[in-house]
Amino acid sequence: MKVVAVRLALLALVLAAWQLLPSRGIVNPLLLPPLGEVLQMLGDLLQRAQVREALAVSCAEVLVAFVIAVPLGAALGVLIAENDYLGQVFKPALFVVFAIPKSIFLPLFILVLGVSFQQKVAYAAFTTTFVVLMSAAAAVESVKQDYLLVARSYGATQLQLVTRVYVPSMLPLLLETLRISMIFNFTGVLIAEMYASRTGIGHLIASWGENFQMKQLFAGVILLAAAAILFNEALRWMEHRVSTWRA
Amino acid sequence: MSAAIEVEGLSHVYGGTVPALEDISLRVPAGRFTVIVGPSGCGKTSLLMMLAGLRTQTRGSITCLGRPIPQPDPERVGVIFQEASLYPWLTALENIEFPLSLRGTPKDEMRRRAEAMLELVGLTGFGARYPHELSGGMKQRVSIARGLVQDPPLLLMDEPFAALDEQTRMTMGHELLRIWSTTSKTVVFITHSLTEAVYLADEVLVMSARPGRIIDRIAIDLPRPRTYEMMATEEFGRLRDRIWRQIRKPD
Amino acid sequence: MPAPATVRRALLVGLLVLWELVPRLGLIPELFLPSMSKTLTVLWHDARIYGHALLVTLMEVALAMLIACGGGILAGAAVGGFARLRNLLLPVVSSLYAVPIVILYPVFTAWFGVGSESKVAFAGIYAFFPVLLSTAAGIQTIDPQFLVAARSMGASLRQQIVRVVIPASLPTVFAGLRLGGALAIIGVVVSEMLTAAAGIGYLVTLNRTILDSPRVFAAILMILLLSIAYYVLSRALERRFVVWQSAGKPLQLAQASTQSTV
Repeated sequence: MKVVAVRLALLALVLAAWQLLPSRGIVNPLLLPPLGEVLQMLGDLLQRAQVREALAVSCAEVLVAFVIAVPLGAALGVLIAENDYLGQVFKPALFVVFAIPKSIFLPLFILVLGVSFQQKVAYAAFTTTFVVLMSAAAAVESVKQDYLLVARSYGATQLQLVTRVYVPSMLPLLLETLRISMIFNFTGVLIAEMYASRTGIGHLIASWGENFQMKQLFAGVILLAAAAILFNEALRWMEHRVSTWRA
Repeated sequence: MSAAIEVEGLSHVYGGTVPALEDISLRVPAGRFTVIVGPSGCGKTSLLMMLAGLRTQTRGSITCLGRPIPQPDPERVGVIFQEASLYPWLTALENIEFPLSLRGTPKDEMRRRAEAMLELVGLTGFGARYPHELSGGMKQRVSIARGLVQDPPLLLMDEPFAALDEQTRMTMGHELLRIWSTTSKTVVFITHSLTEAVYLADEVLVMSARPGRIIDRIAIDLPRPRTYEMMATEEFGRLRDRIWRQIRKPD
Repeated sequence: MPAPATVRRALLVGLLVLWELVPRLGLIPELFLPSMSKTLTVLWHDARIYGHALLVTLMEVALAMLIACGGGILAGAAVGGFARLRNLLLPVVSSLYAVPIVILYPVFTAWFGVGSESKVAFAGIYAFFPVLLSTAAGIQTIDPQFLVAARSMGASLRQQIVRVVIPASLPTVFAGLRLGGALAIIGVVVSEMLTAAAGIGYLVTLNRTILDSPRVFAAILMILLLSIAYYVLSRALERRFVVWQSAGKPLQLAQASTQSTV
């Protein structure tokens, strides 16, 4: 409890500083508007149609990309985990893949699909698939061989192995996969929108920045940060609920 | 024979509330091999830590070789732990030299003494290996060599063979007795294995469950050098049995 | 079945061959995929421009690494080493990890302009948290028995730190450097692509807008080579200096995949 109190105190401190330092002029309020004004602007923005539309577009992109990436990545991940040979061939390559900035492929997506909804979705799905792949492979590999052996020795069919051993064993990891993949997915969509787009909240934030509309910019930052954290914590809570049996 | 270790009325309480050890008194004569056995959590490791100067007792006195031991004193008391805890970035030989290097011993002397210890534990030729290249038994031998390199008259060992498989344990026990017989040190050895206790010891001290007290002292009169064949004798079985009954007794 | 490594190399060669032939045969328009030879030719032609851009990028990466690795490793060691700090801050940091840091980039460009400062700031912060988390986790894997053993051998506090803690932390520090560098490169490249006036990422964007595909691909190729070179170099250094770690834990792929969100 004491720890939570200290954290809340730290948070309060940061928020207070955000309000007081600019409003007292210690920090240039043109560069960092006071928190109060930013929150006011946020309330304002949420009522504007333009902003609502942008949010809707971004949401749609995030969802569609997710729906594409998760099954695709999961299938590939399971494949790599189950098939030793494929795993040996591709795993070292994957290490390198993760060391590369995937954003460099954004221009390729634009060249082929133009600046469009499809392009942003394709790019985000592209980046997210790799993460899902890795997490899924790790989840499959995490199922202890012992558990499978016991089930098989009792005559479990393949289907039973999947439903009675794999799934319950992997459930917490699967939720973690979803959680982490969403972080990447969200980032991918935002980058695509900031890079070249006429719609979406990423584009709005970028143009507010370009036009020095700092209040709007910070309002957008707070909104997105809050959304990301909320989603993350919600999934984390669910993970926690299903993993009470984990060490 | 003068006492190498004298413990008088030692008690210890964890964190001010949990009694760990209660009124322990013992005398270990010089040159003797004493084994301590007891159920898990009875405080035997804590007792050892206090004998080593790594922990301070709440009450009571400890003297090693006539002086108290408020801090670790590796030239007086060598300590061997259950985990060999060899530093993975040093070779076996460098690990053995480590305590000497802490004291700024000149390089050639360090090398000479370390190699002598390596030979003593039967690992000549393995000095340049890194810990990850050694088996469990070999790592423990290096750990023992490290504990012996400063030639302390007193050796404390906390279940050093617990992490090894049974066959290696038996070999190591035998090796330990060989090393001990050539160096006439005083040894205090903790173990969970009753067979090991009877095989190695001159005297076995049995501790009760927490708070730990000494509930029996059993003299092991088997002739030395000890052999594997002795384990099959009736006498051996009787001694083992006695220890087991003491440990099993509900308090 | 052929050895996995051979298959990988064969696939790589196959990809390069496709890169050359597919555009040439007109299967994909040159606008979408310029042939490898065209790309390399352009790169050779404009070597000075690309070289200069590479230097700008490298400088930004180096500075960002200073922030991320210097700060991240020290902070990570502190957080990992002290249970109180750890319990206090670690959950906070891992919650913050969920926030896409790119949203801060417009803030940095508004504050620092379009030049290198904003890139360094962004990439520095971007790499900072993962390095912190990785170092904190790594510090915790150090066997506490090491210090007990050192104490039993009569080591002073100074000796415990210099002779035990520091050598034992080397693998973690190297991992932090490798991670920080990789993330710094990614952060710098992304920010250069978004708003910049110089650097390799900038060249990607510049040439894309004028639809000069070979030059776009040349820039992309350079970035690929840079990332791969850094990866290979840092792994080699790690193996060389932390040779005793080779028997220890190999880098977990799942870990590696989640360290960069870009």
